[in-house]
Amino acid sequence: GLKLQGRIRVDLKMKKLDSTKSLLIKSEQLLRIEDHDFAMRPGFGGSALPVGIDVQVESIDSISEVNMDFTMTLYLRHYWQDDRLAFPSSSNKSRTFDSRLIKKIWVPDVFFVHSKRSFIHDTTMENIMLRVFPDGNILYSVRITVTALCSMDFSSFPLDTQNCSLELESYAYNENDLMLYWKNGNDSLRTDEIVLSQFFVEDFQPSFGLAFYSSTGWYNRLYINFILRRHIFFFMLQTYFPTMLMVMLSWVSFWIDRRAVPARVSLGITTVLTMSTIITGVSASMPQVSYVKAVDIYLWASFLFVFLSVIEYAAVNYFTTVEEMKKLKNAKIPSSYNANQAMAFDGCFHDNDIDLPSFPEAASTPNTERNTQSRNSTISAPSEGTRLRRRNTIKHNLNFIMSNSYMIDSYSRVIFPLAYLLFNIIYWSLYA
Amino acid sequence: MRPRVLFARVVLMLRALQRLSTNQSVCLPQSSLPSSQSTCSPQSSDPVLLLPPRRRCCGAPSILHGDPGCHGSTSEAVMPGYLRLLFVLLCLLLIGECRKHRSRKKRWSAPAETPKPGSPLAKKVADGTKSRKLKTTHLLRVDEHDFTMRPAFAGPAVPVGVDVQVESLDSISEVDMDFTMTLYLRHYWKDERLAFPSATNKSMTFDGRLVKKIWVPDVFFVHSKRSFIHDTTTDNIMLRVFPDGHVLYSLRVTVTAACNMDFSRFPLDSQTCTLELESYAYTDEDLMLYWKSGDESLSTDDRISLSQFLIQKFHTTSRLAFYSSTGWYNRLYINFTLRRHIFFFLLQTYFPATLMVMLSWVSFWIDRRAVPARVSLGITTVLTMSTIITGVNASMPRVSYIKAVDIYLWVSFVFVFLSVLEYAAVNYLTTVRDGKERKLREKVREQSCSQTLPCSCGIPHTKTMMLDGTYSEADANSLAGYTRASMPAEDASDKQEQMVVHLALDNESTGTKRKGIRSFRIIENTHTIDTYSRMIFPGAYILFNLIYWCVYC
Repeated sequence: GLKLQGRIRVDLKMKKLDSTKSLLIKSEQLLRIEDHDFAMRPGFGGSALPVGIDVQVESIDSISEVNMDFTMTLYLRHYWQDDRLAFPSSSNKSRTFDSRLIKKIWVPDVFFVHSKRSFIHDTTMENIMLRVFPDGNILYSVRITVTALCSMDFSSFPLDTQNCSLELESYAYNENDLMLYWKNGNDSLRTDEIVLSQFFVEDFQPSFGLAFYSSTGWYNRLYINFILRRHIFFFMLQTYFPTMLMVMLSWVSFWIDRRAVPARVSLGITTVLTMSTIITGVSASMPQVSYVKAVDIYLWASFLFVFLSVIEYAAVNYFTTVEEMKKLKNAKIPSSYNANQAMAFDGCFHDNDIDLPSFPEAASTPNTERNTQSRNSTISAPSEGTRLRRRNTIKHNLNFIMSNSYMIDSYSRVIFPLAYLLFNIIYWSLYA
Repeated sequence: MRPRVLFARVVLMLRALQRLSTNQSVCLPQSSLPSSQSTCSPQSSDPVLLLPPRRRCCGAPSILHGDPGCHGSTSEAVMPGYLRLLFVLLCLLLIGECRKHRSRKKRWSAPAETPKPGSPLAKKVADGTKSRKLKTTHLLRVDEHDFTMRPAFAGPAVPVGVDVQVESLDSISEVDMDFTMTLYLRHYWKDERLAFPSATNKSMTFDGRLVKKIWVPDVFFVHSKRSFIHDTTTDNIMLRVFPDGHVLYSLRVTVTAACNMDFSRFPLDSQTCTLELESYAYTDEDLMLYWKSGDESLSTDDRISLSQFLIQKFHTTSRLAFYSSTGWYNRLYINFTLRRHIFFFLLQTYFPATLMVMLSWVSFWIDRRAVPARVSLGITTVLTMSTIITGVNASMPRVSYIKAVDIYLWVSFVFVFLSVLEYAAVNYLTTVRDGKERKLREKVREQSCSQTLPCSCGIPHTKTMMLDGTYSEADANSLAGYTRASMPAEDASDKQEQMVVHLALDNESTGTKRKGIRSFRIIENTHTIDTYSRMIFPGAYILFNLIYWCVYC
């Protein structure tokens, strides 16, 4: 009898503190959910409802060039006032609820324009928070991962900067019904420490705009803009540096004796092959755009240099052969000499009888040759007119080149590096 | 008692009562009584005497006036109060007996069933699910409370203990910079609304279906990319409720979370990753997350192993996290350190690179006159190094700093490249020297021609270097002669020329030159650059390796 009474008294005492145990004060009853129709927005039929937005970006998970999109995880917070959810309270403390209440009340239907995929995380429960203040102000926070489209311009790749933006808009309510705005102006957008391996995030800027849909009207749109600057180091190491080395390797060919035909040809061809492999490797991870990228310009120019070194050796070889033929004709040839043997099948010169100077130090011989030639042609040279002289000079030059094919190599040793250096200076000053 | 017997007894009793009642009151005093046949003597002064009334007196259809003895006496007897009470009592007794009899009759009619101890019949009382009164929701009184609000709503924070058992580390991805882990996550808290009366102190276990109806903490994984609760064959959720209201809530979750990795020492690196747990809605004032048993809250299966990593240790920490819009939250951390196994990269990257560099040194030992051979050897090793470098970077994120493996590969590439340049230099210098030789020979020839020596002013038989890698016979006599054995017959002038040239170019000719000329010639076949390169390149590479492995190991 008495004992029972005591227990009841104690229970009642605790019950007063823990309002969840009291049958009368259920949350739905507290918030009077059953009384109202939450299918309609607050202030239905009246003025537009202002909904403040606050975003905290947790991370930028990945940026894909091939798909031209980016994936971002963010905490999206909405602030609005709904008088139907005001409840009496002595202290001014808010009440926190989780996702189960969301289905019963009205919440703004914000979506991400130009998003490809998105989801609200739901482990271990749906990552949703609802905080209701006694005056009816509501804070609604969600954790979302969204993959959105970003049009990228690769004309300066990999020395490029991309501007991407994530756009928030209400799906159903246009600006007569719902006004989206950044809650704290420019401070509404906060970020955790965002570290990307390939990019440097320069700037996060919120902005605001209006979007017009011809069928449905004007909508408020909020933008989260950010600028990404690509780190060049990886591409320097992976693309530019091997390319430069390949071009330099192709110059080695000019220093090798021009009579070493297989060596010079294989050197030229292998550098062309390596350049081609590098070009293919870069294109594999890029979208197939219809314009030229900066890295393409560099790779193709280098390819051209390497290609020209092969062509150069072909010219050298050709002129050398011609020269040899001429010398065979001009010089006294012993009968035993077989002209076919001049260039054997392996492409080597067997210059038994022909003295081929192969280095610029033997500059005396061309002079003597020229002297002999000039001696032979003293009749024709000075007395002719300018035209003849010019024609003579062209022919003379060609003859000169042909008879001194080694000079192509000597000039190439200087011209090719200088040209490549000039190209590099122009390229880097233009793009960097 | 048999019913018939009982019934008979009751009837007798009633009759007795009836007679009694009629004897006492029936006969009225009537003075003028004709000669009646009534034998009843109403005027008996002795009321005590209970004389059974004669039938004739009371039973006959008498007329009031005709039968003085039986005035107003009908067939029904008039009973007094206490008799009525007795009658009622008897009726009740009868009814009770009949009821008992009914059940007894049934027992007797049914086949004999003796209940054994522990049989279903005995248990029926103990199995609460079969009793309509004790449904779970009724037991736990779920409908009575509002479980959208946390326990002790508007009161102090509810402490929730967390316990984790890591089942496995599924994968660690460098390109995405994340890891995937499967774990058993257990929560412990007290909710008095779920307390139920119980004689024994045993808990009741439920599965995922009850979770939707009660309050559970909304723990989420911060910095997670994807996660899910396993749901084969049903949701892998366990709920255990103790009589005092303590709840154990256990789930099996797979989560993919981001881990910032630092690759500056890749592949000789160690990564530290963390998994962070936090409540999404409830701040520090509403929900206090803590590790249930301190550092022992985190246990791992013994069989956790990764192919590429060695898991060094798991440990737990706890901190507070501040969000400017929403406040302070408790955050629990699971930290683990992974050390990469180097063996795979040794086999896949370091070893091939080292072999390529060594292969490029082979070129120094090949005769410098074998131009295509040396050039193609150098170029092919460059190409292979370039392929190895591309292969390593395919599976790596595009980081903006240099990795340890990059340093090794690029230095090896430079070594290989330098061997090609070295041969270019050797070749160039060789042709220069050959040119000088020829010039000198010509001079000698001219001189010899101008002198009285017989000269073959025609084309000398000297064959210069056949650049397919072999030497013609004439060269055997030249300065860079090969062997004497392959020397054919020569012109005398040739020989003389050669000798002169030999003498001219070798200033330091001594008498012993002839004898040592063969060895000298062999030595002279190799350029000095080659000779030095044979020692310098390997020495430099070994030094580089020593420095590299000392710095990174």
